Amino acid sequence: MKILIVDDEPAIVGALTPVLSAQGHDISSAETVHDALAAAVKSEFDLVLLDLGLPDGDGIEIIAKLRELTGASIIVLSARHLEQDKIRALDEGADDYVDKPFGIGELLARLRVAQRRREVVDGSLNDEFVSDQLYMHFRRHEVRLFGEEVKLSPKEFALLEVLCRNGGQVATQRKLLIAGWNDPHADGQYLRSYIALLRQKLEFDSSEPALILTEPGVGYRLSIQHNPVR
Amino acid sequence: MIGSSKNRDHSMAPGRLANVVIDISIFVLATAGTYLAQFMDRPITAVLIFLMGVIAIGARSGVYSGVVAALTASFVYNFFLSEPVFMFGVSTADEIVPLIAFNVCAIAAGALAGRLADSAKAARAAERRSRFLLQVSGELQQAISASDVAEITRRLLPLERLVDLEIYIHRDGVLQRSGKEGHVPDALTALLADNTSGQTPSPFRAHVLNASNGEHGIVKFFMAPKQRGDSELPDLQALANLLALAVDRCLLLERATEAAAMQRSEELKTAILSSVSHDLRTPLTAIEAAASSLRSFRSTLSDAQKDTMLDTINEQCSRLNRYTANLLDMGRIQSGISEKLLSEVDIAEILGVVLNSARQLFPDRGITKDLRTPFALVRANPAMLEQVIFNVLENALVHGASDHPVVVRLDAHEESAVLEIADSGPGIAPADRTHIFERFYRAGDRFHRRGSGLGLYIAKGFIDAFGGTISARSLTENGTGTGVTIELPLVATAAEPEQDAL
Repeated sequence: MKILIVDDEPAIVGALTPVLSAQGHDISSAETVHDALAAAVKSEFDLVLLDLGLPDGDGIEIIAKLRELTGASIIVLSARHLEQDKIRALDEGADDYVDKPFGIGELLARLRVAQRRREVVDGSLNDEFVSDQLYMHFRRHEVRLFGEEVKLSPKEFALLEVLCRNGGQVATQRKLLIAGWNDPHADGQYLRSYIALLRQKLEFDSSEPALILTEPGVGYRLSIQHNPVR
Repeated sequence: MIGSSKNRDHSMAPGRLANVVIDISIFVLATAGTYLAQFMDRPITAVLIFLMGVIAIGARSGVYSGVVAALTASFVYNFFLSEPVFMFGVSTADEIVPLIAFNVCAIAAGALAGRLADSAKAARAAERRSRFLLQVSGELQQAISASDVAEITRRLLPLERLVDLEIYIHRDGVLQRSGKEGHVPDALTALLADNTSGQTPSPFRAHVLNASNGEHGIVKFFMAPKQRGDSELPDLQALANLLALAVDRCLLLERATEAAAMQRSEELKTAILSSVSHDLRTPLTAIEAAASSLRSFRSTLSDAQKDTMLDTINEQCSRLNRYTANLLDMGRIQSGISEKLLSEVDIAEILGVVLNSARQLFPDRGITKDLRTPFALVRANPAMLEQVIFNVLENALVHGASDHPVVVRLDAHEESAVLEIADSGPGIAPADRTHIFERFYRAGDRFHRRGSGLGLYIAKGFIDAFGGTISARSLTENGTGTGVTIELPLVATAAEPEQDAL
């Protein structure tokens, strides 16, 4: 992938560049909002790793502009306790986030999810979600867990569809409320109840979910992703 | 309205008018009595009756009225009653002695009776004032801040013409109106400012508040408009002195409190510095040592040794990360956690997240779940609640016996959610138990400290902010095993989700 790292900390750029290059990615970097936008105008990127605290502005402000300029996936690098920033970044159009400080393994896993999503985005995920354990056909209203059909109510289905379409990446509470209730300000308690119902139907142990993960304060993340048989 | 109120201000007060009418009636009655006695040829009785009237008026209305009554009586007696009638002067030499005696007696009696009445009135006023001062000084004992002083005194008003007061106190180079927001730039502005609690601008007197070490500010006393015959003002200087003393005491108290707070913050700074120097330096030293060894002895180290060193670097980095996160959380607790950050959170759901990460971090340790409720809604910040549960669980996993599972129990009582995390470790000594939620407190042996001493402090700080409680107890009689209980008020559950067909 062509990756743009936007971070003003040379140590982070310096540590990530060789590792990501070794993974076969083509790395550029920018230290400021201004440089990042200039780079995005000049060439096409597949993915932008965006630090939110930049010397000449708030990284959140450029997410919308980057969205207009490029079709690149955007992964935000953010401090753990700044949930509000993460939510704003995701609502502005970022695809995912990684808490700082992060292990390289975690970052590479998120990059792989983003890469896989780019490969299938115009393909089969339009109709169905395929993985070893969960299968979902969006139009046929069909859900199978390890091949066994699972009955879902329309709302449960709508929520699971959003989770599956974002498979591997976080789906914000707002996104899920719009999908289920057509209203981003609907009561989060309803969402929690429906997620609990989904977990009872899909999880091995719904009190320690492994499939539909909670991202406290932000939303939910399906731990698996679309993996069509090639 | 304004005109009529002005008229009333300048006309005689109704009470006073009645007094004058009564005095005149007494005088007329006495004159009539005297005339009757004279008519019946009882001159001594006549004189005594007239004298009695004068004394009565003096006793009722004071020196001024007494003397006026006496002079009038002399004139009336001389002109109308004594021979020759309707003329001044006397017709016989025998007449002159009683006349002079009467005049002298009338004037002296009026004046004396008047003085007596005046001094009785003055004594009553003085007593009222000293009672007021005593009451003020008694009530002011309760004042703990300078802004209380004006408020407490205001509650005891009015006293005679004194109806209101304002206190301005010098603080940080400006005059602050006590009990009110904001400040005034200088004393002149304070003096020119209108009394805000009265409707019309009232006359006032200002006194400086003098105290042990210079002046503290000024006090403005507001008066009701002066009326004729009103008694003089109470001793404002005495009142100002009382207020100055009270303000002085309050300011000293504030300074003492500030000093105590400074002392505590100094102690905290020392604790933070010693913690930072230990908890930041130790992992840094390990990382530095491992990294420089890898660089210098790359060729001579075995692969296993290199792996150990790389593991060390990774572990110490996570330790640094946890520590800085703790310091940040401590800062958040100190600066106060806003209600805006809280929302409805299901403890059971957050517990699931924590259990997930704890099982990854401590793969060899058993954690037993005892979930007595499928969900428990509380008002909290989800990420902070996750941190709280993780800190307590991590503590139990680190200090508990490694061959016994840590037991996590979640229950919903009538009004609260109760989460207990119990280990079978050596337990907490009773002496430590009350301190484990304090900042930088590490139980037991100081030479083998693990952790930053912030985990449980942060847990308590966050739980306090959510309106809950956290406590620790021994699980057995011999003190082994520790149970940490978190209790949070339950949020009323909304109706079950509306059923949508399968």
